[in-house]
Amino acid sequence: MPRILLIEDNELNRDMLSRRLQRKGYEVLIAVDGQRGVAMAQSEVPDLILMDMSLPVIDGWEATRRLKAAGETKHIPVIALTAHAMSTDRDKAMEAGCDDYDTKPIELPRLLGKMEALIGGGEKTSDSEEGA
Amino acid sequence: MKELPKAIEERVQHMLPADLLHDLRTPLGHILGYSELLIEQVQEAGHEEFVPYLEKIRTAGRQLLEMMKDNFQGVRPPGGES
Repeated sequence: MPRILLIEDNELNRDMLSRRLQRKGYEVLIAVDGQRGVAMAQSEVPDLILMDMSLPVIDGWEATRRLKAAGETKHIPVIALTAHAMSTDRDKAMEAGCDDYDTKPIELPRLLGKMEALIGGGEKTSDSEEGA
Repeated sequence: MKELPKAIEERVQHMLPADLLHDLRTPLGHILGYSELLIEQVQEAGHEEFVPYLEKIRTAGRQLLEMMKDNFQGVRPPGGES
């Protein structure tokens, strides 16, 4: 079961996305700010990180730069999530070291496609056979 | 391009466009995400009678998102970022 670290400060976003990913067969770890996210990435070494970019303490760009600069975490794919849809936001995320980028509101099939391109799919569970 | 009602348009003009777009996208994401999650769960639970109502919520949310994209695409305050 792929382990995903979701770094997101908005409680409802965390709850909603973690539930939906769990139903698709992913194990979801949670961090609520950039600093805690970096620490959890170092201790848990997840298969992929979903990184909100507008985070407290340290933002998603700085958190990504730190993760990509550290030997134990630089191999972990990072997908940036932002509520802005500007091409410059995408460029900025990629410059920070993100491997891909997606915009909110999350379209789950689109996000799952990007995740699977980086790490392969989650495991289907008995309650995840429905159409998206 | 769809037009916003005049009162909303005037109010919107006094806000920073990128901030407004960000602030609107967050709760809209909750509406869309939870409605999609509920559709899946009520189908699994066999409560098909609730699905059309949840689909109406999801459809309305998607329409609102499209209106936002049409009206605010590419706007942000000078020097603004996240």
